[in-house]
Amino acid sequence: MFIFQNIIIMLDSAFNIDCGYLEGLVRGFRNGILRQHDYLNLVQCESLDDLKLHLQSTDYGSFLANEASPLQVSVIDDKLREKLVIEFQHMRNHAVEPLATFMDYITYGYMIDNIVLLITGALHQRPISELMPKCHPLGTFDQIEAINVANTSVELYNAVLVDTPLAEFFGECVSEQDLDELNIEIIRNTLYKAYLESFYNYCKNLGGPTAEVMCPILAFEADRRAFIITVNSFGTELTKEDRAKLYPTCGRLYPDGLAALARADDPENVKQVAEFYAEYRALFEGAGNNPGEKTLEDKFFEYEVKLNVNAFMHQFHCGVFYSYLRLKEQECRNIVWISECIAQKHRAKIDNYIPIL
Amino acid sequence: MAASIFRSEEMSLCQLFLSSEASYNCVAELGELGQVQFRDLNHEVNQFQRKFVNEVRRCDEMERILHYLEVQIKNADIPIADDGDNPEAPQPKEMVNLEATFEKLENELREVNSNAEALDRNFLELTELKHVLESAKIFLTHESDPTASLSQSLIATDEGKNEPQQLGFLAGVIPREKLAMFERMLWRVTRGNALFKNHDIETELKDPITGHMVRKCVYLIFFQGEKLKMKVKKICEGCRSTLYPCPDTAAEREEMLAGVKTRLADLNTVLSQTSDHRQRVLVASAKHLRSWLIKVRKIKAIYHALNMFNVDVTNKCLIGEGWVPNDDLVRVKEALRAGTEKSGTSVEPILNVMDTTMAPPTYHRTNKFTSGFQTLIEAYGVATYREVNPGLYTCATFPFLFAVMFGDLGHGIIMFLSALYMVLNEKKLAPIVRNSEIARMIFGGRYIIFMMGSFSMYTGFIYNDFFSKSVNVFGSSWHIGENATLGVTTYGEHEYMLSPDNTEDYVGYPYAMGLDPLWQISINKINFQNSYKMKISIIIGVIHMMFGVCLSIINHSYFRRYVNIYCEFIPQVVFLMSLFGYLCFLVFFKWFMYGDGPNFDEVHGSACAPSVLITFINMVLNKEDPPADPKCVSVYMFSGQKLFQQVLVILAIISVPILLIPKPFILKHQHKKKMSRRPLTEVVVDHDEQAATGGSTTSLVSNSKATSASPKGGAAPASGGGGHGHGHGDEFDFGEIFIHQGIHTIEYVLGSVSHTASYLRLWALSLAHNQLSEVLWNMVLKIGLVSDSTAGSVMVFALFAAWAFLTVSILVLMEGLSAFLHTLRLHWVEFCSKFYAAEGYIFEPFTFKSILNPDPNE
Repeated sequence: MFIFQNIIIMLDSAFNIDCGYLEGLVRGFRNGILRQHDYLNLVQCESLDDLKLHLQSTDYGSFLANEASPLQVSVIDDKLREKLVIEFQHMRNHAVEPLATFMDYITYGYMIDNIVLLITGALHQRPISELMPKCHPLGTFDQIEAINVANTSVELYNAVLVDTPLAEFFGECVSEQDLDELNIEIIRNTLYKAYLESFYNYCKNLGGPTAEVMCPILAFEADRRAFIITVNSFGTELTKEDRAKLYPTCGRLYPDGLAALARADDPENVKQVAEFYAEYRALFEGAGNNPGEKTLEDKFFEYEVKLNVNAFMHQFHCGVFYSYLRLKEQECRNIVWISECIAQKHRAKIDNYIPIL
Repeated sequence: MAASIFRSEEMSLCQLFLSSEASYNCVAELGELGQVQFRDLNHEVNQFQRKFVNEVRRCDEMERILHYLEVQIKNADIPIADDGDNPEAPQPKEMVNLEATFEKLENELREVNSNAEALDRNFLELTELKHVLESAKIFLTHESDPTASLSQSLIATDEGKNEPQQLGFLAGVIPREKLAMFERMLWRVTRGNALFKNHDIETELKDPITGHMVRKCVYLIFFQGEKLKMKVKKICEGCRSTLYPCPDTAAEREEMLAGVKTRLADLNTVLSQTSDHRQRVLVASAKHLRSWLIKVRKIKAIYHALNMFNVDVTNKCLIGEGWVPNDDLVRVKEALRAGTEKSGTSVEPILNVMDTTMAPPTYHRTNKFTSGFQTLIEAYGVATYREVNPGLYTCATFPFLFAVMFGDLGHGIIMFLSALYMVLNEKKLAPIVRNSEIARMIFGGRYIIFMMGSFSMYTGFIYNDFFSKSVNVFGSSWHIGENATLGVTTYGEHEYMLSPDNTEDYVGYPYAMGLDPLWQISINKINFQNSYKMKISIIIGVIHMMFGVCLSIINHSYFRRYVNIYCEFIPQVVFLMSLFGYLCFLVFFKWFMYGDGPNFDEVHGSACAPSVLITFINMVLNKEDPPADPKCVSVYMFSGQKLFQQVLVILAIISVPILLIPKPFILKHQHKKKMSRRPLTEVVVDHDEQAATGGSTTSLVSNSKATSASPKGGAAPASGGGGHGHGHGDEFDFGEIFIHQGIHTIEYVLGSVSHTASYLRLWALSLAHNQLSEVLWNMVLKIGLVSDSTAGSVMVFALFAAWAFLTVSILVLMEGLSAFLHTLRLHWVEFCSKFYAAEGYIFEPFTFKSILNPDPNE
């Protein structure tokens, strides 16, 4: 049996039996990702209508054709997202195991964000119907609109989340405390930590090229969260112990780096931690908030884009689906950024998008 | 014009000077004419930075509204009138009117729609409320006292207990698919402390926003206490269910129900009025939709074309460039004049034929018969400008080679009749097939199928093969005479041996046309047919290839590449003829000189006939086998054959180095001479001559490189690059040419061997087809025919259906497709490789036709 399994694993091309069609599809989609010369054209646009005209000549085609002029940035954003979601859901509907679970895992991240968004909104007495359009369509589930039934995290779990796939991640954050701003943030990060670790293990168990590709990407995602949680926690009432609990443990920082991060008191300490890791050192160097410098966030995004582009160099693995979604999201952010700059006539920073190909 | 199918039409690059006022109308006229391919003079300018981008954008906006209208009309199931007329492109000033009309329509429609939506929502709410009230009645039938309050406690209050607990309840409607989730959640949140009752609504309800029909159900929840009520309410809201007020007592409910019913009735009349109004608006616009769409698209196309024009410095005129077929120059001028007249300006448009070294596009004027064959050839490659077009010959050779493989009179008739039906009803069928890709493909090739079918009938007649049976039309030449020898085969069957010697058996002259029907039932049928068909295949193949080689001389002399005639054409002919031409000669010689019967002596008897194949192999290897029988005297067919063969082989071998070596050296020499004669600064050559010589040198220097760049060269700025397009001729890379010539030689020499063998597919497919149809006859239909019981008649009925189905699906469709593909290959590879460079790019004129008829085939 063992030998037999080995043979199956060795036959990478067996991947094509189930997922070959979708992989072909996603690679085709990837070829539609805007290239450098497209961006060069986009930043020259005088108005959003120019932008629309240029996007028509790319793979986006006539996705804005039915929108009346003058265009709003929010409309562009919605349409970009809608197109991506349709593509993703089309692939999800055709997927079989293990790709189906893999793609479901991708959506869990959006679910977490949506839940947090809704609870925060409910705390501020905003009606659910107003918040729903702001939720990411990939992260909706049946019970989501009933979320304001819950006042405490126990209720949240018992009433809403118990039937969703997120239930297994919720184990650690059940408490009788009322939901407040900080609490929600902790819930979000705890959920995310559990989610990332679970996703990481899932990919690892899949083995083969999927693990090879996805583990570094998820490890980076974990480390990025650890860094950002640390940086953002300075000056809040979050204790160091609580903070340490939020670090995902599937990254390269685990365990030494995380321990060091847990002790950090100011951004300088964080930078020192990053010094020990070659790839992160490069990101922290030259990052800053001064004009002409890239922010740490942008640096992280750039590195993420690089990892995701590299994912397409391998064949026969599920990682391309994850990477495609991430790249496309980055592209949407870029287009929205450029549109905002055009709409607000604020051209100085228009080049701050993150090129993909 | 007549020669345009033989080679592509002569094109000239024209410069158009149009005054700004007249430019729109002129381009509109050119679009109707559809014989000018504009070059993009602003390709370095972004799409949105061009002159007429605003107009294009306005057209986009109009198209958007029309699209919105179209969707609405289609949703309302109103047919869109298609009267096939072709409205002219409206004047630019009419655009404002159109825009106003569209905008008004859109606003009106949107208003009507939003009204209808509000009404629909209202209607939905009332209907749901009605259902809630009706269901509440069902849930609470056990209620005895109509005045009693529903929420009163069921258990009589005891003195000792606290104040009586009131039972609260909520009623609402929820989509059915959410019901299970809703119920589960309710149970979880209230911890089972709520009573849940639900009832399906029988009718489907219309969702006012999407317009889809949804199924919903009514529910009632009973619970205790205010806190629980808050929670339950939140869940109800969260699950997209709507809550409805439901009075406590039955009497109140009755009253409310009556009210709701009257309001519903009122609403129904309003609703029908609204939808009537909407229908009227849509019907009115459906009448014009198509012509509006065409108008808007035409305007957009015109502005797109104008965006390719240069603007004169004074801003008074637009300058465009485009390729025009020489034969149409007059018509283009007329169109320009008409356009100027329409716009009412006095400034005459100027059409200027320019000198250029750019490679012009390839344009073959085809009709509906030739276009199918031309498409087959263009799928291989678009002819180089003014090159001999294989499409013309394909019209005859393609169906013929197909028929050699598909030779069956019956199958040919089926194919012929179905194609005939398509050809005769093409006007009626054209709109029907437009929607299906496969049907469109078959329909597009109807003339090809027609030709293939009729040629197959001919070859089927020659093969004497009609659904694998023979037809004795002229009376067979063979009879079983008294002296026919009777033998017994190994299978125990009796067989007769017929000899051509015997006048009783053989009448002395062959069957009038085609194969003798007797062969169909003879045991050695396959042996005989194989030999015959193989030989025929080789002969046809060599003729076909030879024809291709001969066509190349037309190209050489037209492009004045005289070197190629001596260094390519002649050695190629010598090589092909001395080997494979001689092979064909041997076949014919053997057919004429050898045979059985009283006319042939022993030396020329069938026993002494030498094998053509062995003879040929020995000829090339310079070997000699002893004769099979000492009586036959010699393995040669005629005296001096050995010497003749040796000469031929030597000729063939000599032609290889001639093909390989001299040409590069001659070219090098010519180049040197030209460089020394020509001053290095720059030369202006007369247009015609330069096109010819320039064309020749470039394609000689590097056949693939020079012209593959030409489509891009076509897009390069022309006015500046006039003289420099010749640049290729100035560089001379001897090594590259030599390697290229080497490849060419090897390809030809090895090619003629493998290509000749490749033509054997004619025999192979013909054999396969013949055998398959025979198997089908013997295995299916024959079973029914040989049975002599009454059940046999029923069986024949069923078996015929099976046989007919298999015949059409396997033999006609699948075998036909396979033979089609093999024919295509024979043309693309074996035929075209002999002369067809196919390095051109197609002429794509600016035309409104594609707007009228989005179908590319029509």
